[in-house]
Amino acid sequence: MNIWQVLSSTWNMEPWVLVSALLLLVAYGLGTGFKFTKLSALFISGIILYVLALVSPLDYLGRTYLFSAHMIQHILLLLVVPLLLLLGIPKALAEKALKIEPIGYVMKVLGNPIVAWFLGVGAMWVWHLPSLHDSVLASDNLYIAQQISFVLIGTIFWWPVFAPVETKRLSPLVSTLYLASACLGCTILGMLITFAGAGLYAAYLNPVDTIGILPLIRGELCLTPGVDQQIGGLTMWVPGCLIYLAASMVTIARWYGAEEDYELSNSSTNELVTASQGNK
Amino acid sequence: MSMKIPLVPENLKPLPRLKENEGMLSWVASVDHKQIGIMYLISTLVFFIIGGLEALVIRIQLAQPEFDFISPEVYNQMFTMHGTTMIFFVVMPFLIGLGVYLVPLMIGARDMAFPRLNALSFWLVIFGGILLYYSFLTQSGPSEVGWFAYAPLSEKPFSLNKGPTYWALGLLATGISSVASGLNNIVTILTMRAKGMTMRRLPLFVWMILVTSFLLVFVIPIIASAFAMMLLDRLLEATFFTPAHGGSAILWQHFFWGFGHPEVYILVLPAFGIISEVIPVFSRKPIFGYSFVAGSTVAIGLLSLGVWAHHMFAVGLGNVANLYFSLASMLIAIPTGVKVLNWVATMWGGKIWFATPMLFATAFIIEFVIAGLTGVAVASVPIDWVVTDSYFVVAHFHYALFGGSLFAIFAGIYYWFPKMTGRMMSETLGKWHFWLTVIGFNMTFFIQHFLGVMGMPRRTYTYHDFPYWGSMNLISTIGAIILALSVIVFAWNIRRSLKHGEKAPDNPWNAWTLEWYTTSPPAVHNFDLVPPVRGRRPLWDLAHPDQLDEPNSKVV
Repeated sequence: MNIWQVLSSTWNMEPWVLVSALLLLVAYGLGTGFKFTKLSALFISGIILYVLALVSPLDYLGRTYLFSAHMIQHILLLLVVPLLLLLGIPKALAEKALKIEPIGYVMKVLGNPIVAWFLGVGAMWVWHLPSLHDSVLASDNLYIAQQISFVLIGTIFWWPVFAPVETKRLSPLVSTLYLASACLGCTILGMLITFAGAGLYAAYLNPVDTIGILPLIRGELCLTPGVDQQIGGLTMWVPGCLIYLAASMVTIARWYGAEEDYELSNSSTNELVTASQGNK
Repeated sequence: MSMKIPLVPENLKPLPRLKENEGMLSWVASVDHKQIGIMYLISTLVFFIIGGLEALVIRIQLAQPEFDFISPEVYNQMFTMHGTTMIFFVVMPFLIGLGVYLVPLMIGARDMAFPRLNALSFWLVIFGGILLYYSFLTQSGPSEVGWFAYAPLSEKPFSLNKGPTYWALGLLATGISSVASGLNNIVTILTMRAKGMTMRRLPLFVWMILVTSFLLVFVIPIIASAFAMMLLDRLLEATFFTPAHGGSAILWQHFFWGFGHPEVYILVLPAFGIISEVIPVFSRKPIFGYSFVAGSTVAIGLLSLGVWAHHMFAVGLGNVANLYFSLASMLIAIPTGVKVLNWVATMWGGKIWFATPMLFATAFIIEFVIAGLTGVAVASVPIDWVVTDSYFVVAHFHYALFGGSLFAIFAGIYYWFPKMTGRMMSETLGKWHFWLTVIGFNMTFFIQHFLGVMGMPRRTYTYHDFPYWGSMNLISTIGAIILALSVIVFAWNIRRSLKHGEKAPDNPWNAWTLEWYTTSPPAVHNFDLVPPVRGRRPLWDLAHPDQLDEPNSKVV
């Protein structure tokens, strides 16, 4: 098999992916009254990416041969897909949804920045515990649970920064701190994976070569277990972190773009004011 | 001021007063941000001269092939102390000190949020400097292991002398100081701004100090713990960084550069701030793209935290790691490059006035772009493999730190000297200083790019008489001597201007930020009253109520 044959033959149309994607689309359509806008383009591209990440060769390779493929899928599902979905929700729809008692309450608890931060960073750390990751690879149900949790937790993580309702968002400078510290969390994990010796995740060390592509991977592509793990760790570390940074730049750009909320508006300000005093 | 320390004379008049001296105690015991700021600046000037003399010794030793002006041991001590001094005791404390002096004035406050912590920060730097230089008095002399003290060279049994121990102790003290001043700045800027001085109207210098302070608070603890580990290794036989006993020497490099790369931006972001204040004032135009300059600073700060491994391309982290870090490092060039365009666009079409601060600021842009270009070059792995640890790298970072940070520092000194002392600096001497610096600096360092590409290794005690090496090194040494001359002119200018300089008005440059509203030198309490801040240029708005920068701001 050459690389193109691998890429064309390892698509895996899992029903749960297609069903969940369809359900999301229908729910979104019902919520927005099936009107196509810029926002729905974002939402739909989120759904497409979600499906691609889970049915394409990325999924197959990540579950069998390559840790690096798993990591790309992981970053897509935890950071990119939820962001697109969240950005695609119109404000009116979100406001309507939040008025429904249980949803509003749940988002109030989970959308708390501290909770959301620990969920978002925790999802990365916990699911990458080596023993847990190996059991995920061995069990289909656990695997499905993991993928769904990525998307759900990713949405919760982005909520304090990009919630469709502005009042639920953190202020831009606090968002920057929120994202930079999350980037730090993901950097440290990426570093650990990158610099740990090969075989941190035992399953990728000697995969069962069901479709006979191991020689291709190890030989022609030079993806030895060590290199594969390094690519994985670095993908989390560098591009993963850049997503957080890009997001914080978006919040800052938004901040400068927005109208200034003049603190002066209700004081008579043509007069001189007293300078702030230190607490000596 | 409510809790007065007994016995310390309190200042009643603006500082500095050269004639009526209230005694050293009024300085040593001071918690006034202006006095502490001035003490920072004076002590960094002293360290600058010491570090400069060390550099001169290095250059004289390299002036001709197989020269033996000093012994190899002394040579190693010189480059170690030169690098350490210039980074930790000149550029860093200068920029922090300038921040300490200016931040409260620029945001319309009377002092820093924690004045005593401020004093502690300053005295810790002095304490660290004394510890570092005390090692000259030990039997075996100061540290000889280079400013980044790679393990295992810095460890037993390779360095049995006391030098590296003093080095680590001294830097640990300054590290604590840096974290303290970082926190102090953050709290001051977030909580003590005058009414109307919103975060989006901060003078860019203050904004850059804010971002730098966050970097300080995040990264100095990394290196402080590494120093502590190194001291444990050296004094208590721990083995963190000794591979022979199961430690990891590469770990030291990760710690060092995990701090060291953000450190580059700690050294250069406040310099960007100075430039962003000077260029608009001397071009008579508001800065072009304020929000981009401010926002991209955050991007630079955040990116700088994640790219340190580009200092380690030659270590053997693996091709994949090198590739990722190469790409990420090149990304920093984008926000930095656009900043350069912002400054140029500010000058474009402006009524440019080439007083000495503006001359240095303009030269800064040019020299810093050269540093940036060689920086992008060495961010590419194959080029880095060729030139790493050669004079090319020496040239590159001197363009960043001398052509960048120091040129900005000179611009800042000429710009704010009238405010600090109430006297103008001499323009004639200033121009002499400027041209001698530009000529000396480029003569010293530009040619080192070529020496590096020709294979001259960094930190070499001497070299064989290869074709052109002798003459090129001699040119570099002559440049260094010209630089020394320029420093003499500069020091003379300061001394002369302090005594005989023309009296400075409150706002000699017709600038727009709040520090120019108060007297020169500023009153003891900075301001009794601050004018209303309605935009990014409060003094402009004050002078031109009919042409406000932000005409739509609802000021009623």
